[in-house]
This record gives sequence, structure tokens and C-alpha cells, in this order.
Amino acid sequence: MKKLSQRQMFDEFLTIGIDNFIGVPDSTMKHFISQGLKKNKILIATREEEAIGIGVGISLSNKIPLIFMQNAGFANSISTITSLVQLYEIPVIFLIGWRGYLKNDAPEHKKIGNIQPKLLQTIGLESKVVTDLNWKKSVKWAIEKTKKSSCALIIRREFND
Amino acid sequence: MIRKEAVEIISKSIQESPIVSANGFISRDLFEANDKNSNFYMIGSMGLSSSIGLGISIINKNKKIYIFDGDGNIFMNLGSLVTIGAVQPKNLVHIIFDNSIHESTGKQPTNSKKIKIENLAKAAKYKVFVVTSKKAIIDIMKKIKSLSGPIMIVIKIKPSNYISTRVTLEPKTIKNRFSKSLLS
Repeated sequence: MKKLSQRQMFDEFLTIGIDNFIGVPDSTMKHFISQGLKKNKILIATREEEAIGIGVGISLSNKIPLIFMQNAGFANSISTITSLVQLYEIPVIFLIGWRGYLKNDAPEHKKIGNIQPKLLQTIGLESKVVTDLNWKKSVKWAIEKTKKSSCALIIRREFND
Repeated sequence: MIRKEAVEIISKSIQESPIVSANGFISRDLFEANDKNSNFYMIGSMGLSSSIGLGISIINKNKKIYIFDGDGNIFMNLGSLVTIGAVQPKNLVHIIFDNSIHESTGKQPTNSKKIKIENLAKAAKYKVFVVTSKKAIIDIMKKIKSLSGPIMIVIKIKPSNYISTRVTLEPKTIKNRFSKSLLS
């Protein structure tokens, strides 16, 4: 996703009333995160499971949080998602980077990038790939989903650095 | 003093203040000793009670949030001390029931005798208290009323053979009644 749409997507969440963003950084979404840092709305956690725990505390307090992470962190978090977020039916929005989406991505991204869609499906976490063209609709979709459960927006890594 | 005695004294002294309790025997003790709508029993996701408590403390600044944690539990999420220490929530009280074992899984040892949790918490800028008796718990609970957090109380407890009943509430019920209690 381009710099401008990442920034606009952050602002859209803020306008809708999401103002707690917790996570572990990913360069795939660095413009989204830097927009949040600029507005002083980002809490950086030490690990993804910790970020989910903090997000769950916010959701228990009747506010919807957004929890961001790399797909490596998503893999770390499978048990936390199933035995906390899904077990208690706690509404949160995940924003997960899709490293390994490109065929020539770094070796450490390939395997997880390949199995990420299947992993999401296996644990039953509804997801949508967010792009420059559909981000506004995707934000709306995510907000709608949190009326009943949690969901994930997936942001593809379309560059190598 | 065994864990359940300490759990009971504290949960009764803080009345309706929210508690997030760690999985395993800690939540079971709390459920059996003093079940309340304002208790969040974390039955899975070991290690995360302090993180959940941090999230609650950020939003509910007018309430004192209590975390009932264990030595094995906090060792699984030491990063949480870093984040809590950095955020410095004034309304967070982190209680560690420290018996130096994983009692829920068969009393296997933890390393809390070699690496002191109180020292880790001090490095993370908590106000730290260590207590070993029931009388000291009662005194410290009075003392922290006028202190701002983050506060950690490490309670040294003895291993026990007493096993409290499982939490019989549905997870969704635990969540709904807890969230509702935060609105009042």
C-alpha cells in the first residue's frame, strides 16, 4: 500500500472512533504506524501476544482496539488468538503484514507468507486484503465485523528492501 | 500462608475494584473465595493477565485495577514489565503470588528463587513491596490506597495441596459481566 493511503487509512480509523493502536512494527505498514505516532495514538509492545493482551483489556473496557503486527508475530500469536480473543468472543481488529507475498521476498518470509491465508482460515479469523483501492471499504467492513467478533485486515508487502 | 488465603484477603479488601486473574489455580482460588462480576478470570493465554490489566488501566483511569499474577505467569511475559514501566499507569496494582513453582501443572520449579521478581519490577520503575504474612498484606493494602502506581506487591506463599474448584462460568459470561461492571 502506498504512503498516502496508509496515512489516510489511519486517519479514517481515528475519525470512526478507534483511538487505541497497539502492536509490534512492520515496515510493510510503516506509514500507517508513523501517522499514528505523529498523533500520539500508538503503543509499541515487546511481543505480539502482549499487544493482544493489552488490546483485549481495551476491548473489555468497551472500546475497540486495533492490533498491528508482522505475519511472523501472527504465527507467534495463534494460541493467544484462539484461547483468549476467540474463546471469550472479544472484538478487536488485527492489521497483519503479509511478508512473503512476493515470490522473490527474503527467505525467512517465504514459508509464513505461503501458509498465512491457510492459517487465518484454519483458526477461523475472518480477513480481508486491504489495498490502495479498497481501504475505505475495508475499514468499514472491519468496524462492522467487530459488532460480533474479531477480524483481520491484511496488508501485502509489495516491495523488497 | 497459602495462595488461597492471600487471594481471599486481598479480593475482599478491595471490594468491587476490577481484578484480572492469571490462569490456573490463581483464578480457581479467586472464583472459589470471592466470585464477583468485576473479576476477569483468564482461563487460557498464560502470561497475559498483566497485559490485559494494563489495557484496562489505560481506559479506566478513575478505577484501581488489580492484577493477580503468579511467578510462572509473569516469567512468560517479562516484556509486560517493560511496557507497564514505560506507560506508568497510576491506577495499576500488580500482585504476584510467588511460590517458586508451577503449582497448577504439578509443582515443577520456577526460577523465582534465583531471579527475584521484585528486582525486575524495580528496574521497570514499579513501586515494589514484598510481604510474607497475612498481617503484612492487610497493612500494605491500607498503605497503597494513597500511593500511585504502577505498584507491585510480591507475596511469598507456601506450596499447597489444596485445589480450588474450576471456574464454571462460560467465558462469554465472564467477559460480559466484567465489561458491564466497568461501566458503573
